[in-house]
Amino acid sequence: MDPGLLAQHVFNGLMLGVIYALVAVGFTLFFGVLDVIKFSHGDVVMLGAFTALAVSVGLTGGGVTSSPLVLAAMLVAAIASMALVGALLARLLVLPLRRAPAINVLLITLMAGTVIREGVRLFYPQGSNPKPFPRLLPGGSSELGAFTLRHDSAILFAVGVLAIVGVHLVLTRTRLGLAIRAVAQDPETASAMGIPFTATVLATFAIGSALAALAGVVNGLYYSEISFNLGLLLGAIGFSAAVIGGLGNVYGAILGGFLFAALQTIGAVALPFASAYKDVFAFAVVIVVMAIRPAGLLAERSAERV
Amino acid sequence: MTSSVWPALAALVVSAVGVLALLLAEKQWAVIAIIIAAGAAMFLARRFDWNERIRRSGAANSRKVFLAAMVLVVGAAFVMREHNFALLMLCTVMLMMVAGLGLTLQFGQAGVVNFAGAAFFGIGAYAAAVFATKTALPHLLVILAGGFFAALIGSVLVLPLLRTRGHYTALITIAFGILFKTFLEVNDALGGPQGLKVPGFVLFGHAFNDPIEIDEETEWSFYLAYAGLSLLLVAAAYAFVRRLERSWIGLAFDAVRIDETAASAFGVNVAAWKIAAFSIGNFLIGVAGAAYAMMTGFVAPTSFTFGDSLILVSIVILGGLGSALGLIPAALVVVVLPEKLQAIQEYRFLLFALLVIVILLVRPGGLLPRALRDYRVGAPR
Amino acid sequence: MRLATLLITVMVALATLPAQGKDTVRIAFIGPLTGGVSANGLGGRNSADLAVRLRNADAKAPYTYELVVLDDECKPNVGVQVATKAAADNGIVAGVTHYCSTVAMAAVDVYRKFGLPVIVWGAVLPDITYANDYKEVHRVNGTMINQNEAAARFMTGLRFKRWAVIHDTTDYGKGHNKYFSEDLARSGGQILGTFGVTADQQDFSAELTKIKELKPEVIYFAGLTPVGVRIRSQMDKLGVKAVFQGTSGIVSDAFIEGLGPLAEGVVAFREGAPAEKLPGGRVFLDAYTKQKYPDDPEAYGPFAFAAATLIMDAIDKVGPDRRKVRAELNRTKDYDSVVGKITFDDHRQNAVPLITRFVVQDGKWVVWEDSEYASGKRALVKK
Repeated sequence: MDPGLLAQHVFNGLMLGVIYALVAVGFTLFFGVLDVIKFSHGDVVMLGAFTALAVSVGLTGGGVTSSPLVLAAMLVAAIASMALVGALLARLLVLPLRRAPAINVLLITLMAGTVIREGVRLFYPQGSNPKPFPRLLPGGSSELGAFTLRHDSAILFAVGVLAIVGVHLVLTRTRLGLAIRAVAQDPETASAMGIPFTATVLATFAIGSALAALAGVVNGLYYSEISFNLGLLLGAIGFSAAVIGGLGNVYGAILGGFLFAALQTIGAVALPFASAYKDVFAFAVVIVVMAIRPAGLLAERSAERV
Repeated sequence: MTSSVWPALAALVVSAVGVLALLLAEKQWAVIAIIIAAGAAMFLARRFDWNERIRRSGAANSRKVFLAAMVLVVGAAFVMREHNFALLMLCTVMLMMVAGLGLTLQFGQAGVVNFAGAAFFGIGAYAAAVFATKTALPHLLVILAGGFFAALIGSVLVLPLLRTRGHYTALITIAFGILFKTFLEVNDALGGPQGLKVPGFVLFGHAFNDPIEIDEETEWSFYLAYAGLSLLLVAAAYAFVRRLERSWIGLAFDAVRIDETAASAFGVNVAAWKIAAFSIGNFLIGVAGAAYAMMTGFVAPTSFTFGDSLILVSIVILGGLGSALGLIPAALVVVVLPEKLQAIQEYRFLLFALLVIVILLVRPGGLLPRALRDYRVGAPR
Repeated sequence: MRLATLLITVMVALATLPAQGKDTVRIAFIGPLTGGVSANGLGGRNSADLAVRLRNADAKAPYTYELVVLDDECKPNVGVQVATKAAADNGIVAGVTHYCSTVAMAAVDVYRKFGLPVIVWGAVLPDITYANDYKEVHRVNGTMINQNEAAARFMTGLRFKRWAVIHDTTDYGKGHNKYFSEDLARSGGQILGTFGVTADQQDFSAELTKIKELKPEVIYFAGLTPVGVRIRSQMDKLGVKAVFQGTSGIVSDAFIEGLGPLAEGVVAFREGAPAEKLPGGRVFLDAYTKQKYPDDPEAYGPFAFAAATLIMDAIDKVGPDRRKVRAELNRTKDYDSVVGKITFDDHRQNAVPLITRFVVQDGKWVVWEDSEYASGKRALVKK
């Protein structure tokens, strides 16, 4: 294969991987502190993207033309409001169900996701149509043979990687990170040590949802288009990535995100059968991987809690 | 210790009348009134502590109550004999309960999570389509074949399932569900995205799809025959699952679910019981799928998406994990409510989702949580 | 038990009380009101609703009409359920049904079984009318056969030679792919590669990078608006320079809204004359605007309007009786409607010989003949 095209495929896969990883990290954080799966996560990604879109439409309509300014406002609004939404979902729906079977949390967040999705579809103007997302990053591109590297895509890739590194730093270098890790390891002991349980959980959900908002904006800027149901499959894939990596392990989620993207790309490009089979391929590999590494690729050391 | 049969019977009759009214209600205000009445009934029952009396009365007279429930369903079906749509809903609820019983066995009792319910339902449906068109197999056997194939194809997942737990198992089944639907869609062998037509059920020469002619004037809905079939299936499945639950096998399932390590330390063969629960559950789901396909006459991949699996799961959770009885109100809520909310058109999913959230917040354990095993001497079993 | 019987009887009596005044006739509308293609379903719903409103405002009309709207979610199992609901309800005389082909295929048997006459308003799979001989099932819009024949002939006429095909793996996309490939082979075009994609796919970079390697002149896309928007937008991202040719599934305002300036120069084909070109169509669009519906009528709105009007005319003439209405609809010939003359053939398929060619120019679907592309002012392929 032409090296330029190969580079193109690799970059496509990496870009996809960054978006999946941003979503997967959220799943793994929530699981870490509460041992629950929050299925509305994909829809929070979508809501973040729509919040950013609404801000940009509002500002542009109000006469603000400076792209960097609009972009900054979009990011701040999306991230702040999704952090709030995440904390609210945790406070109102997840924590009250702590004593119920863990799977009930899954159902209630699933329904919360449906509410978000249907809400956007019905109450955002013309919400059931795909929406164009403004192109606010410099539009140029570099051609290296058959490889087209758009500068905006390169920036988005860098932003995604930086965000993941940032979360890593928060988790390992700050007091909040310490608290999150303590609660994840043992909520009772952490409480006994004076770590406020509820506040830590809410902070974790806020961080994970802020990442989701960023994923939504990156997704919108990369594809230049968003629609109300983009969270559905993205959520399922993010969850898969988090699990393949090993739930509760941030590096695992990142690895899982890139692995899933790689599988899809290989399934569409390198295999002899029609590209429509790529999801069949990707999910079949997932099943095989799980059979070989039952607790994920980077299993949490305390996975066997007996 | 004897407990009168009347509290359970009264509760049963009241609920049956409510369900019948809901199925037949056409006007929006009637639907809303029935929902409010149901909520009020639940509140009153809790306020005056009727729940416990009803439960004890039901447990002490389970056989009588079971028979009474069958009689009530037959009676309700008879009342609706000319209402095709209401009967279709009734059949759908009963078949969803059969599938829900399968899932209850799997993850309510043995703790084997299954998020590919729709896929196994689909395998049953497709098996019915193929066997009923390509072979001369009697249709009662076709339905069993649907269950058999669901269990057989499910066995592919046994190895990864045995090695994983909890959310990891969930991922395997999710992956399988998505894989199954995509495969059917891109592969033309089974009709591709277009799906297949399924012939109606025929038993001893009687075609279930023919309306039942009583005389010149009256014609009863052909769904009445399917209601009979569905009732038969759901009664058999319910009795079977309850029997399992109460036996030593049910104890083994519980042990496996609660603590695998402890279970195996006590000599419970964890792997064997997991496989058993998974296969029997898939069999029930497949049977429901086969019967449903023959009733609606059509199968297509879009009916068996991940979203549909989640709907099945939500029936099981909403009822109360592991509770066979809870499946009845849960299936009603999940199947009938969105349908009855048709009048609010595009807003109905929003309202439905909100309603489920409220139910879960008010009753975190589900509508009718599974009761604890009671081993006191003389306790009703 | 006696109390229970009494209660049941009372409940049934309450539930089956006569619904409305004596002159009300109910007709059903079925389409996707939720899910990915709900824009089209809502547009169709509003259009049918408009037809009913206009009729009810007419003092001379012998009946008052009530539109019973049901949501098929573009899923066959749900479609069968709601079709049964409409068909089994004896108060419903006829129906304007289905945008999605899979759903229509599943539901036609139900209409046959219960004898409910329906007019399909948007689904384009030929089999819906031609694979059966059900007197209940009519269709006002054309099938995908006519569309693709015209598309292949037109595009090869513009001297394009090399195509890449992307189709969604639903019956809609697959059907289009089949007919277009056959017609293109006949017209002398060449297909370099065919790619099936799922209808909920988000990322197409792998497929498009492969297509980039094949260097086609035209990318033929068979699918609906959401996926079409994504593919066109990602073509630009990956530097794939080819003309984007779509099917009737992307002829929607949502397509242009979703793409902005990128939609420029996209071509697509749809059966029937554009509404604004017909005298009745103008009236339809004006009336639609006046009702202030929150959603656009979309490409098939006029067909839903025509179907509803046709049904009400039949009922006005022969009365609210399914069999009579069916016979009346079967006889339809040279009926004037907002989508042109309607004539049903022996399979109750409206003959729609006219295929309109569209191109996007300055953010609007413009009929090819009126566009600057046809006059030579602009070119599909930029030098």
